[in-house]
Amino acid sequence: MLDHILSIIIFLPLFTSVVFGIFQVDVKVLKIGAFLSAAVTLILVAWLTFLFDPHATGMQFVEHAPWIKNSGISYYLGVDFLSLTVLLLITLLMPPLYLYMKHEERKGYWYNMMLLQTGVTGAVLSLDLVLFYLFWETMLLPIFIMIGKYGNGMHQYNAMKIVLMTILGSMSMLFSILYIGYMHFETVGTWSFALYDLTDIVFNAETSIFLAAGFLLAFVIKIPLVGFHTWMAPAYGSAPTPAVVIMSSIMAKLGIYGIWRFGFGLFEETLIYYMPIIAVLALVGLLYYAIRAITEDNLRKMFAYSSGSHLSLIALGLILTNIYGWSGSLYLIATHALASAGMFIMIGLVYKRFKTVHISELGGIASRAPKFTFFFAFFALSIAGLPGTGGFVAELLIIIGAFERNFWIGLFTATTMLAAMVYVFWMLQRTLFGPDNSTCQFTDLNTRELVMLLPLVIMLILTGIAPSLFTPMFEPQLSVFLESALHALGGVK
Amino acid sequence: MMMQFLYALPMAIVVLGAIALMLLSNSRITLHRLNFIAVGFLLLSLIVQFFIFGETQSAYLFENIFGTAFILDDFASIFDAMFTIGAILTLLINNDYFKSRRYFAGEYFSLILFSVFGMMVLSHAHELVTGFIGLEIASLNIYALVAYHKIRKVSSEAMMKYVVLGSMTGAFYMLGTALIYGAVGSTSFTEIANYITSNDLQNISVLIVGASFIMVTVLFKIGAVPFHSWVLDVYHGAPYPITMFMASTFKIAIFALTLRLYLVMFSPINSFWSEILQVVTIMTLLGGSWLAINQTLVKRMLASSSIVHTGYLLIAISSIGLGSELAAPAVMFYLMAYFLSAVGSFGILSFIATKKKKQMTYDDFKGFAQRRPYMAIMMSIFMLSLAGFPSTIGFLGKFYIFTAAIESGQILLAGLGILTAFISVYYYFKLIAMMYFYESDETQNRFPVGISTVLIVIITLIVIWGGIGTSLIPYVPGADGFMDFASNAISSLK
Repeated sequence: MLDHILSIIIFLPLFTSVVFGIFQVDVKVLKIGAFLSAAVTLILVAWLTFLFDPHATGMQFVEHAPWIKNSGISYYLGVDFLSLTVLLLITLLMPPLYLYMKHEERKGYWYNMMLLQTGVTGAVLSLDLVLFYLFWETMLLPIFIMIGKYGNGMHQYNAMKIVLMTILGSMSMLFSILYIGYMHFETVGTWSFALYDLTDIVFNAETSIFLAAGFLLAFVIKIPLVGFHTWMAPAYGSAPTPAVVIMSSIMAKLGIYGIWRFGFGLFEETLIYYMPIIAVLALVGLLYYAIRAITEDNLRKMFAYSSGSHLSLIALGLILTNIYGWSGSLYLIATHALASAGMFIMIGLVYKRFKTVHISELGGIASRAPKFTFFFAFFALSIAGLPGTGGFVAELLIIIGAFERNFWIGLFTATTMLAAMVYVFWMLQRTLFGPDNSTCQFTDLNTRELVMLLPLVIMLILTGIAPSLFTPMFEPQLSVFLESALHALGGVK
Repeated sequence: MMMQFLYALPMAIVVLGAIALMLLSNSRITLHRLNFIAVGFLLLSLIVQFFIFGETQSAYLFENIFGTAFILDDFASIFDAMFTIGAILTLLINNDYFKSRRYFAGEYFSLILFSVFGMMVLSHAHELVTGFIGLEIASLNIYALVAYHKIRKVSSEAMMKYVVLGSMTGAFYMLGTALIYGAVGSTSFTEIANYITSNDLQNISVLIVGASFIMVTVLFKIGAVPFHSWVLDVYHGAPYPITMFMASTFKIAIFALTLRLYLVMFSPINSFWSEILQVVTIMTLLGGSWLAINQTLVKRMLASSSIVHTGYLLIAISSIGLGSELAAPAVMFYLMAYFLSAVGSFGILSFIATKKKKQMTYDDFKGFAQRRPYMAIMMSIFMLSLAGFPSTIGFLGKFYIFTAAIESGQILLAGLGILTAFISVYYYFKLIAMMYFYESDETQNRFPVGISTVLIVIITLIVIWGGIGTSLIPYVPGADGFMDFASNAISSLK
């Protein structure tokens, strides 16, 4: 069991959906099955976290089997502090999402969510480049169907747009993967696509720059950094809520994860060449997305831009390559995922009640639904980095890291963070308070909705007031990884 | 001598079957039965092939009669098996289609079997004139099959285009053969190869001109740009079964000849054509993609995308010339992968056409997932496989082709291949989008269980298994096993 625990975690949802799909079960059974599969994976991941040794170096719970033998492609899974964080997030978010979807009667929705879980989990855990590519591509399919079939607005067009843009990135990554595999063949004499076989290859500088570009393009589109972001707002705007939650909380983070794992893993030296570019894109993004968020009237799109701005911050923290930046980034990955998941669920609830997500058509919720108001404001403020929530700790760490690197970068980062306060407070004032524009009956949160939101709130507060609970889990491995990265970068401080 | 008869048996069974069907076609036997008789002959041939496979490394067939004209080796055997399986699938999947169209008659099956015979001759040919005979036997039957629906103007027009252009390129082949014969004094592949090795490149210019003429014929038959003008109209004009047969099986036959020509006859000088082939490849990839983007009929889109797939195969062919070990098996693997996806997708199209007598456009697919959910899933899987999406066999095919291209140093060509694969995502995903993103007024139909649908299900499973099942499941050979198969077959060439 323990030998194959990672495979079980990845494939349980897929297995459930395929079995249920073949037997064409009733939608009620499907719901229970989906929820159970998510619950079981959550328990398994909790068990895995319990057994995880934070002080050991390298990958744990490794599964390694030959897959496509004559090309050296292997089925290679493993978990370390980085993948564990994202894995925990995925499994934590799925049960609340299924609770949110309780009244969803369309079967395709549930099948796609299960496929999506397999796709993202697999991408996080795979250590073989081709295997990673497989999951990276397949997680796009459920999103494509969900936006195109269940979305709103110009959903067909937007679904095609997100698919084409992300596949453009992954195709460039595929090219780099194939080339690296060939380099391994040329230098060692055997084919291999396993990450830890490929780290030893020494590239010449030019090839390396060009190969790193292939990977970075895929990740930068997925994040998305400014300039590669044209798919983001339309896709977030027309996607149904569960898909938006996964896109902003997990899939965007996978872009960061990719830079961390494969960028720093394969191209440590070369990354220096791209660091200024990424840093500039991230800084411009911070400001640009914040301004777009301030001017946006559609709540979904507003938080899409807000999400972009925070992901730019995470990317910045990663590129700073110091202990503050890195731990801040990792921390922000987790807390932003929780907060934005909560926020997009709240927006989904707003839509269910008012049939609109436009700020100009909302108002006066506070007087009628106090519980709703509390949760809405809590998630919005924790996205903005309210002291006492995890986001505050993470943002503080990144800002400290930025100051340590360069005074001006630090100053710029700190100032733009204020912009987040602007759009969040202004939005809260207009939606929750303000004049009451609507005529429909606004019901407060019911028990089911409370149950699905409470875990997120508890996690956010815990990460905010007691970071020391979580730091021992990732700190040792993080600092080892950072040291090796710094070593490769030539002692850049 | 007895063994020689056994080796010739697969071809003999097919040709006997063709003659038998021709005689039976005027009798009262129904089309349904005739179809199964044809399949029976093909299956018999396939079984015999199975026993012959691996018997000999390579031997000449009836050497005292034909000299070195026919060769029997694993390479030819694999291709024979592909033709037979392709023909069997074509006949069985379209079983209902034949019944729904009144213009089909008995001799149809005879023509298919004759053309399979021609393809087998082509794959066994070890001499230029035999190759030509095989090519013409296969082509003439296909010409007739394309125009099978006599009163339909589009079909007749397609046939005329194909016949005129095809005969002209056939003349090129003969001219090339004549030039080579003039230079070498023989048309045997081995002797031509010996002649090339024993002479300097400067002294064999006549031979190179002749060989280039032959290349023109080959490029025409596989539909490479700029020899592609017939492809769209012919694929469009032909009935679905024939389009399927041409896109999958006939194309494989031409590549069998190409590989043999390239690996045996021209092996000492095959790097000579690399630049020309690279230019043709670039034009094929870009031109095919351009055509495919602009189609509204799904059949025409698949026809133009088959030009793009030819482009991928040409990348591998020119990699062979630049010394890639992987390239030749990669071509064979890709042919198999493309064959499966093409048969599957054309099969579904012909299934739809059986019920609805019209050419399906993209718009006609709106709401298809609601009407026929299983069919829609299978169609999506074939589209994903054609687009080279991972977890399908099409991805592995592209994987091998592109690694071969990188291995031979054609990095830019590999990059262009990946770019066109990206473009292909657009026109394949468009169909998936049409099927899933729109609602339909009609209610869900029951899944029709029949020979054709069951076969399509099996092909779907093979496509998926080829992408993900490889060597993970114990005791089941993976799709990468086919690569080893193909490498052995390539090494059996001489």
